[in-house]
Amino acid sequence: MTEATSQDVAGGKPIQIHDPSLRDGHHAVRHSLGADQLRAYALAADAAGVPVVEVGHGNGLGASSLQVGQARLSDTEMLSITREALTNSKLSVFMLPGWGTIEDLKNAIAHDVDLVRIGTHCTESSLAERHLGFLREQDVEAHAVLLMSHMADPGRLAEHCARLVEFGATGVGIMDSAGHYLPSDVTERITAMCAAVDVPVMFHGHNNLGMAVANSIAAADAGASILDACARGFGAGAGNTQLEVLVPVLERVGYRTGIDLYRLLDAADVAERELMPAPPKVDSISIVSGLAGVFSGFKTRVLDISAREGVDPRDVFFELGRRQAVAGQEDLIVDVALALRGAGTGDRS
Amino acid sequence: MTYNDNRTAPGRLSVAVLGAGLIGIDLMAKVIRSDHLDLGLVAGRDEATSGLRQAARLGVPVSAGGIQSLVDVERPFDVVFDATSAASHAEHVEQLSPFGTMVIDLTPSRSGRMIFPTVNRADISAHRDLSMVSCGGQAAVPILHAITRAHEIDYIEVVTTAATLSIGRGTRMNLDEYVGTTQEAVRGFTGVADVKAILNISPARPPATFRVAMSLLGKDLTTDSLRSVVLGAAAEVRSFARGFEVKACSANDGKGFVAVEVTSSGDRIPRYAGNLDIINSAALLVAESYAADRLSMAGVVNS
Repeated sequence: MTEATSQDVAGGKPIQIHDPSLRDGHHAVRHSLGADQLRAYALAADAAGVPVVEVGHGNGLGASSLQVGQARLSDTEMLSITREALTNSKLSVFMLPGWGTIEDLKNAIAHDVDLVRIGTHCTESSLAERHLGFLREQDVEAHAVLLMSHMADPGRLAEHCARLVEFGATGVGIMDSAGHYLPSDVTERITAMCAAVDVPVMFHGHNNLGMAVANSIAAADAGASILDACARGFGAGAGNTQLEVLVPVLERVGYRTGIDLYRLLDAADVAERELMPAPPKVDSISIVSGLAGVFSGFKTRVLDISAREGVDPRDVFFELGRRQAVAGQEDLIVDVALALRGAGTGDRS
Repeated sequence: MTYNDNRTAPGRLSVAVLGAGLIGIDLMAKVIRSDHLDLGLVAGRDEATSGLRQAARLGVPVSAGGIQSLVDVERPFDVVFDATSAASHAEHVEQLSPFGTMVIDLTPSRSGRMIFPTVNRADISAHRDLSMVSCGGQAAVPILHAITRAHEIDYIEVVTTAATLSIGRGTRMNLDEYVGTTQEAVRGFTGVADVKAILNISPARPPATFRVAMSLLGKDLTTDSLRSVVLGAAAEVRSFARGFEVKACSANDGKGFVAVEVTSSGDRIPRYAGNLDIINSAALLVAESYAADRLSMAGVVNS
């Protein structure tokens, strides 16, 4: 432990930090991370004692596509490179049923993955039953996460978490995929989930409204014991919870992460230098996407298509929110842009 | 002749529906309306399910005995629609094959001859195990088949979005088979090797209309060349699925994008559930084509 962490309360409640920089960060760079980049950051995170490092295409295993973006490296390449770089950290992957299949899980298992997260839209936990069952049979640690969780109330999320545990999840959680939450929203939801299950509960924040760290602390205070965070917030849209901010803040509040502060700061510097042209920021379009409650990962497509069709990307985000688009429905962006263009010129043909 | 037994009017085939989920019950409603098919049984596995209760209320004979109730009949059925699960289909075919029954598979099992009525209707009578592939496949393949006959295509991606209320447990447990079977059908009917299928489930209220978005990479794609073949193929599909509509069709920079939506025009399923409507309408058309072939061979005059 460094000086900065040793002054914190000894014996505070442990929090497991889960770092999806090398998965979620792909959304910010059009899934273009290469071998050297993955290796450099995985080594740095491992040296800092980050307990779990997640890798893959932004939407997880098997998700390289025109719909979301084609990855520079295959899943197999990403898994091999990261596995080799990690000596202490666990290797994690993410998969959305309907995007990846059991074949993709088998490939990840063949690469000695330690933890698999299965994601579904927040009201569709039953889509994970088959894959969680498979992972349980294979004796692979499997967690389940509910995406776009602001679209369901606390009671509903708690029910879905309980079902995911029945399906075999040994950890459950929610993602604030749109960056829509305020701390009180998180408190309510995590409290309800913790009451419904007896496995670790996870929270994954996005920073569209500048709330990611505060929301993560609210989650920990309400009982969450796994928190996601990325170096420099590397992630879709306004970015995720910023790892090197969250960890020392948690320690000051009295939680224990087991992460070395200086080496963590070094890892964040590596990330900024090696992985991204510039760190994510809360820009105007990200604020709108958070307010609209739309998946942050839509940002680059919305900007591209809005520019091509000559419409205001802010209008596109609000309309996508009105249509309750879920993560993965990027094909709706074109429809929305064309409809707005038609409405703007009075020509709907 | 089995179709001429005492349960089945002359000039009609006897039919059973195996599986009483969302697909099975909509099929039941469609078969009841058919001029060439007589619905003899809806078989599920649990009497308490709403599907079997709905069927019983309509006066259709029901059984909770599953596949066994189709085997233990005095006269075997001419046609069985299998609306159960991909893993069970092979066993159902095995049990029914001694009777010469035509089995039309609504699960994404990948075992039978794949049929898209506007593309390879001629293949129907030569096989006894026919696969309807998937709802997304039925919407996409006729369009993609037409596009690839007119263009050089390197990559195809098919993204399906269905409303959560239209996706039953069988489909939820068969997502991998959905993806694999849809991909194989697209490969087989387009000749393009590099293919990806994706399925999204939408809980939006009001429910999202069933939608299939297709992205293609091909150097010679233009909006005009794409539009003419897509609209032609869509008109053919509309002959049996009236709610089939092209919502987007464009190309630039060697990248084509086509989106279709399907609304249901059936009386038992809501408008947004075009996924159920298109696969069931295709399956019904296949059964009716088979009936027409059988009856014309037997010299029975169709009325």
